[in-house]
Amino acid sequence: MNQSILFLLRRLGFYLMAAFAALTLNFFIPRLMPGDPATIIFARFRGKLKPEAIDALRETFGLNDASLIDQYFSYLKSILSGDLGISIAYFPQEVSSVISGALMWTIFLAGTSLIISFFIGTLLGTIIGWNRNSKLDSLLPPALAFIGAFPYFWLAMLMLYLFGFKFDFFPLGHAYSADVSPGFNLAFILSVIHHAFLPALTMVLVSLGGWMLSMRNTLISTLGADYITFAHAKGLSKRRIMIKYAARNAILPNLTGFGMALGFVLSGALLTEIIFSYPGQGYLLLQSVKSQDFPLMQGLFMTITLAVLLANWLVDIAILLFDPRTRK
Amino acid sequence: MSLYLKLIIILIAGLIFQNCESEKKVGKRDGLIVYQEAQISWARNFNPLSPAGSTRWPTKCGIHEPLFIYNSMTANWVPWLAVNYKWNSDNTVLEMQTRKNVFWSDGKPFSAKDVAFTTQIKKKFKALDTRNSWEYLDKVTAINDSVVQYKFNRVNVPGFDALATQAIVPKHIWEKVEDPVKFLNPDPVGTGPFTEILRFDNQIWELGKNKNYWQKGKPHVEKLVFPTFPSNEQVTLALNSGKLDWAGAFIPAVERVFVEKNPEHHKYWFPLTGHTTFLYTNTKDKLLNNVEIRKAISYAIDRELVVKVGMYDYTEPASVTGVSGPMSVWHSPEIEKIEDWTKYSREKASKIFEKQGFKLNKKGYRLYPDGTPIELEIIIVSGWSDWIRSAQVVSQNLNKIGVKTKVKTYDFGAWISRMQKGDFQLSIGWTEKGSTPYNLYKGMMSPDYLKPLGEVADVNWHRFSSDKADILLKKYEQTSDEKEIERIIYELQKIFVENAPSIPLFAEASWAECNTTYFTNFPSAENPYGTLSPNYEHENLFLMLNVRPR
Repeated sequence: MNQSILFLLRRLGFYLMAAFAALTLNFFIPRLMPGDPATIIFARFRGKLKPEAIDALRETFGLNDASLIDQYFSYLKSILSGDLGISIAYFPQEVSSVISGALMWTIFLAGTSLIISFFIGTLLGTIIGWNRNSKLDSLLPPALAFIGAFPYFWLAMLMLYLFGFKFDFFPLGHAYSADVSPGFNLAFILSVIHHAFLPALTMVLVSLGGWMLSMRNTLISTLGADYITFAHAKGLSKRRIMIKYAARNAILPNLTGFGMALGFVLSGALLTEIIFSYPGQGYLLLQSVKSQDFPLMQGLFMTITLAVLLANWLVDIAILLFDPRTRK
Repeated sequence: MSLYLKLIIILIAGLIFQNCESEKKVGKRDGLIVYQEAQISWARNFNPLSPAGSTRWPTKCGIHEPLFIYNSMTANWVPWLAVNYKWNSDNTVLEMQTRKNVFWSDGKPFSAKDVAFTTQIKKKFKALDTRNSWEYLDKVTAINDSVVQYKFNRVNVPGFDALATQAIVPKHIWEKVEDPVKFLNPDPVGTGPFTEILRFDNQIWELGKNKNYWQKGKPHVEKLVFPTFPSNEQVTLALNSGKLDWAGAFIPAVERVFVEKNPEHHKYWFPLTGHTTFLYTNTKDKLLNNVEIRKAISYAIDRELVVKVGMYDYTEPASVTGVSGPMSVWHSPEIEKIEDWTKYSREKASKIFEKQGFKLNKKGYRLYPDGTPIELEIIIVSGWSDWIRSAQVVSQNLNKIGVKTKVKTYDFGAWISRMQKGDFQLSIGWTEKGSTPYNLYKGMMSPDYLKPLGEVADVNWHRFSSDKADILLKKYEQTSDEKEIERIIYELQKIFVENAPSIPLFAEASWAECNTTYFTNFPSAENPYGTLSPNYEHENLFLMLNVRPR
């Protein structure tokens, strides 16, 4: 067990290094883009703002000519003190308050659909892998691969048009309806579920196939292993062999993938958010890039980076639990 | 297992449909649902002075109001919080008389002191002075409760525009604000028709009417409702399903996509704004520095086709002066006799190229005199599909006269940066806007904005200046005499058409739609009392005051 703790600590050290590298890149890469925020905001007015306004804008955003290195160190300092600065696109809101408004919705929608998709996909993969060459096995993989191959925005638009507009089963967008007020009450919760259903469904549909196929394929190769034959010989129940022996081993690649995907949940689901007018981090990220809002970009990249690293570390732990070989 | 799944699905479906039923409502609607800003989640910011462009619409033209409103549909100044204005004899002192019996939404009376305060605060905080008013202002004082006096440090009559359209804030509140640049003004106090924030959530907010509004009996609408919409597709769906009453969105093929679904209530009005979209020509380019070539390129463009293919026939080809629609009153009567280079003529275009020494080679491409083939590039913002299609038509037109032209798209940031630094040959872009063509010609020809290649120029991307135009522009600043103003504009037009600093492409239109199921009396081509587009600040007040529930 000591070995495992050492392993986890070593991984943690590695992740800290990775975090530092990522934060540095977060700072420099956006600044390689041409243009500056003041001129971009000015240009968005398309001639309605007089050219003289540009000085006022620069003054407002406090854009100064400090050297990049100086800016970098003050950036590191403010990050360590937890101050993410003031957003430019949403001036004068604090970056932290802009992000927190979107974060919960992203975690809710993208997180839930990822978990649903992972569980259903893995489960289906196990079932069809175990019963390979069954009817289900010849039907599901091509069907889901077919759906997964559609461009996401097209599928989502089609679903929105059919089930939202044509048949009016679901709302056309937003996270809750206009006549409920956010808070802990049944009307609001039902409204949130009702609104999240269609976007979540589209996200699950397109990602389900991937989880299922990878689970099925790994499971099939696991089924040829000696210990499975041995388990059969021992006369264990089929269900026990399927879950405890085959699936437990076959799930490892999926678990790694899940960890990665979990981290990337925070980058939001841009297309879903736009098509379903759903609040979230993806749209913020797009806005921040479009208006060269460095503080907001840095804040978003930082949350994404940290989430990816954290998720990976959690997967490391999970793999330790699942796979005794890593504990040696 | 599948049994459990089925059960869960049935359960969820049941819940959802039950919820669905409760949402369906019919009959009257007391809130006008509006789309103006593409957003996915709202931030509470009602600072009308903030230059950052992150203030919620209609802070400057609904919660707060200006002194005068320029109505571009009727092309006149409408007195608003001020009743009249007067220049002294040498145009150095401007006096405005403010309206009596106007009250702030907290009940305190509005006076000339508020106006003076609003102008002064912009001197104290440079960041708020987005119109650079203090460059020509010397002093602003409230002579009494109903007269505000602006003393200028130099003669600058067009400076009136900025002062007249300034949204006024209440002195008794803003004088206590420590940093008005970063002030969010979460509970605004204004003189406008809509001032009460009834609700503010991340996906929806509501703005209730000001019960003490100075125009008695108005507005007729109880409140404005703002759900978030991230893009025009969602707006189109919402308009069609009756979940949106008023929007300013570009809808392609609007007749088929929107009107046909319900011709009785689905209306749109895309009037010309008076401004023009230009094909920018970089006059520092080795080909485009030749004025005759610029004219030849203009002759080669089939603008009818550009408008049809690129703009869904929503607008019309540009005139040679670059003014259109309601601005056409400024059109000098003889100008077309002097120059007609916006009239499509491939022959004229080819003739000019020949005459200037750019011959065709055997493959049918035109060459520079040194024998290298001409290659032009039109840069456009990626995703701006109307302009991309327009540029494609232009490039086909140019290829037909042997000028090899291709269209290249860039991300907005990269595009604007190229424009500003003069790192382009051809591009489609907007021009400076104002209540007369003065701003257009200033942006096109003033040496004040001219920057060398590589330096950032926020206007005059094409890098052209004319000293003759400059003298006229300076003269324009000195006069408030209408006859003189007209004469100067005519002179400027003449210089413009002679030099073709850039090429007018098509007239600019504004996009606006309404669904009249629940509300009526929106402006329209038949009843053009104001603009329908919510994207023209101040002018939207006309609509807000006149629209009525059915």
